[in-house]
Amino acid sequence: MKRLMIVDDSNIIRSKIARALGEHGLEVVGLSPNGEDAIERCVSARPDVITMDITMPGMDGIECIRQIRRLNPTVRILVVSALADKATAIQALKEGAQGFVCKPFTEESLNEAIGELFSED
Amino acid sequence: MFGIDLGKYRTIVISIALFLLFDLGVLVLNFFISSEIASDAVNVNLAGRQRMLTQRTAKLTLQLQNRAEAGVPQEVELKELIGAFSLFDRTLSAFESGGETASGDGKPIRIAAVDDAIAQSILAEARKLWDPYKSRISAVIERGRADPDAAGALVVQAEAANLPLLKLMNDLTTRVEELAASKATLLRAVQVAGISLATANFLIILFHFIRHLRESDRELERARKETDDILRTTQDGLFLLDGSAVIGVQHSAALEKVLGTKTLAGRSFYDIISPAVTPKTLDTTREYIDLLLRHDVKEKLVASLNPLECVEVSIAQGPGEAESRYLQFGFNRVFESGKVTHLLVTANDITRRVRLERELKASEERAKGQMGLLVEILQVEPATMNQLLRSAQEGLQHINRQLREQGSAREVGGETINAIYRITHRIKGDSAALGLASLATSLHSLEDILTGLRERPVLSGEDFLPVTVRVKGLFEEIEAMHQAVARVAQIRGVISVEAPRPQHDPGVEALPFVKRWKDFATRLADEHARKVELGYHGIDMETLPESLRESINSMVNQFIRNSLVHGIEDGDTRKRRGKPEAGRISVYISARDDGGVDLSFRDDGQGISVSKVREAAVRAGRLTAEEAAAMDSRRIVGLIFEPGLSTRETVDEDGGRGAGLDSVKALVMQLGGQIRIGSTPGEYCHFRLSLGALPSLARTVSEDEKEAEEAAA
Repeated sequence: MKRLMIVDDSNIIRSKIARALGEHGLEVVGLSPNGEDAIERCVSARPDVITMDITMPGMDGIECIRQIRRLNPTVRILVVSALADKATAIQALKEGAQGFVCKPFTEESLNEAIGELFSED
Repeated sequence: MFGIDLGKYRTIVISIALFLLFDLGVLVLNFFISSEIASDAVNVNLAGRQRMLTQRTAKLTLQLQNRAEAGVPQEVELKELIGAFSLFDRTLSAFESGGETASGDGKPIRIAAVDDAIAQSILAEARKLWDPYKSRISAVIERGRADPDAAGALVVQAEAANLPLLKLMNDLTTRVEELAASKATLLRAVQVAGISLATANFLIILFHFIRHLRESDRELERARKETDDILRTTQDGLFLLDGSAVIGVQHSAALEKVLGTKTLAGRSFYDIISPAVTPKTLDTTREYIDLLLRHDVKEKLVASLNPLECVEVSIAQGPGEAESRYLQFGFNRVFESGKVTHLLVTANDITRRVRLERELKASEERAKGQMGLLVEILQVEPATMNQLLRSAQEGLQHINRQLREQGSAREVGGETINAIYRITHRIKGDSAALGLASLATSLHSLEDILTGLRERPVLSGEDFLPVTVRVKGLFEEIEAMHQAVARVAQIRGVISVEAPRPQHDPGVEALPFVKRWKDFATRLADEHARKVELGYHGIDMETLPESLRESINSMVNQFIRNSLVHGIEDGDTRKRRGKPEAGRISVYISARDDGGVDLSFRDDGQGISVSKVREAAVRAGRLTAEEAAAMDSRRIVGLIFEPGLSTRETVDEDGGRGAGLDSVKALVMQLGGQIRIGSTPGEYCHFRLSLGALPSLARTVSEDEKEAEEAAA
């Protein structure tokens, strides 16, 4: 079972993601409300996949991705954010995210994106 | 070959290897045969020497005999004889079975036995002659001197052996020479064959190579031509970007047109797009291209982030002229050994598409506006609506006249503005009162312009330009509303006339009674300069009892007459009201389960005017003006079935006497049934009669009542 960590400053979004992906065979191993907490938690939680918000108080998602990449080069990162512009998404991918889903998302789009994250092509 | 993939060079490599192999083979053979020829040359020399040695030996035996007979010392001759004898003997043995002898210069030399049957047989014969000769000589040598007898016997032996031995050695020499010659011939043959093979191989290589070269040249040429054709004819701008975002040497001809720039090859893509995009888009583009060049990010994911999906650019059209266009760039990765080496970029001018999309959006918004307009129109009574639109049109025409009169004047007085403002304000008030919000808004914006003008101290005709433009817009808006009103009227007509239609049976149209109604309607229409179409649906009247049939026929004829006299308008009025030029009458008759019959008669004429009926009732003295005014419209409409009442002021054969619909009422009373009337002024009039099996009751409904209400009544 893949281990999932959710990083988002909104409690509602966190539980929505947890519900959507938890029901599709991912084990939620960590919930973080901001970047700093995510980095700390990432070491002990050892997630296989992280959903990452971009706009958060304190450290933003882009910086968080950069730092998590250094700690864990193999973890798959899915950006789940109300991406205001393409530049942010490009930045996230350059920093090492493997996919993105725009808010508001549906359960299907989220699951599809997670599936894409682990597909080979 | 050797685990190395030689690809297209395989044939050439094999050919060259063969060439080397031939050369090496010829070289080895050459070496071998040459060394054999060299040893044969020694043999020829030695064989020749044997010839000479036979002569010398014979000569020395004679000299030895002379010395012996003269009794003089013979040591010198004896010594020479020993040398010649032993050299001949050793050489003979060496020829026979291999061994050592002395060469021409006296050095020891080892030779192989002569490997030839003929030479060996010569040697065998020589041996037979030599052995007795040899034993005589050996005996003399062993004694150390020769007495005259022994010398004589030796000479006899020598004379017997000498010539045959000479001949044999001659033969041997010839034979050895022949052997050497045949090897030389073989050597030449080998050399010729080797060189021939090498040459042939070389020619094959050359031929093969040239053919391959030509083929690849042809393929290259074909590929180049195809690429050229594609690049020349494609409507897309196509080019390659390398890892530094530099445009490749080849690109489609359309690219220059799309980008509006020439000499693109070798230039940085960013330099080309930078004048057209914002610095932020340019930065995003850089990041995007960097991301595309990284093969670890999925292309599908990246594709959705293209910042150049739709870019508005200004393309120079000539000196000082520029045109705004929309470009779309598409990026595709080019892989080589799993790595992204280039990006294939397509650039398209999507101006037409973008404009069409915008037009579509605008027209959707307009349509939404028109929907709103229709809703507004539907809420207003058609006659009132027409009245407002007419008055608005007149008001705008008045404004136009004012503008024309003042337009040429250098200075315009405030009175003009006030006059225009008053008209505008009045129409706006009327529109707002009827709930026509969109028209009111447009008029309000005209008021705003006028208020702005009022505040200016001095005005010229040109200042009225925005007013003129606005008024023109209002004319168009009112015209659109006119059309919408007409369309609404049409729709209302269609819906209300067609709604209760039973299953249509085309056969009934041909029934004789229907034909008679049609003829009657057409004749009346001709007389009144109108056009009419009568349609029938329902049962064949022949199935009804004769008395009922005749009553219905009479009622329908009366309704037809009523429609053509009072209902259906002339062609111009109908067109103005958005109706088809020919009036439509629909008749249908159906048999009810209770044995009664329903008759429906409907026309799309002007309907029943309550005010006219009211006036007619007063004129006919049926009601006083006060009574008429107090009576509600439902009851007023019911008066059309009263005898001696007609809204028509003149009397002719078809109407005006007021003796039409009262006869219908009388028949209904007689048969037992109900009459219901539905009508909307300007749109339709509908009589519905339920005959038989029902209590006799004449009922009418007011002109504005809807069918549903009638049914509920």
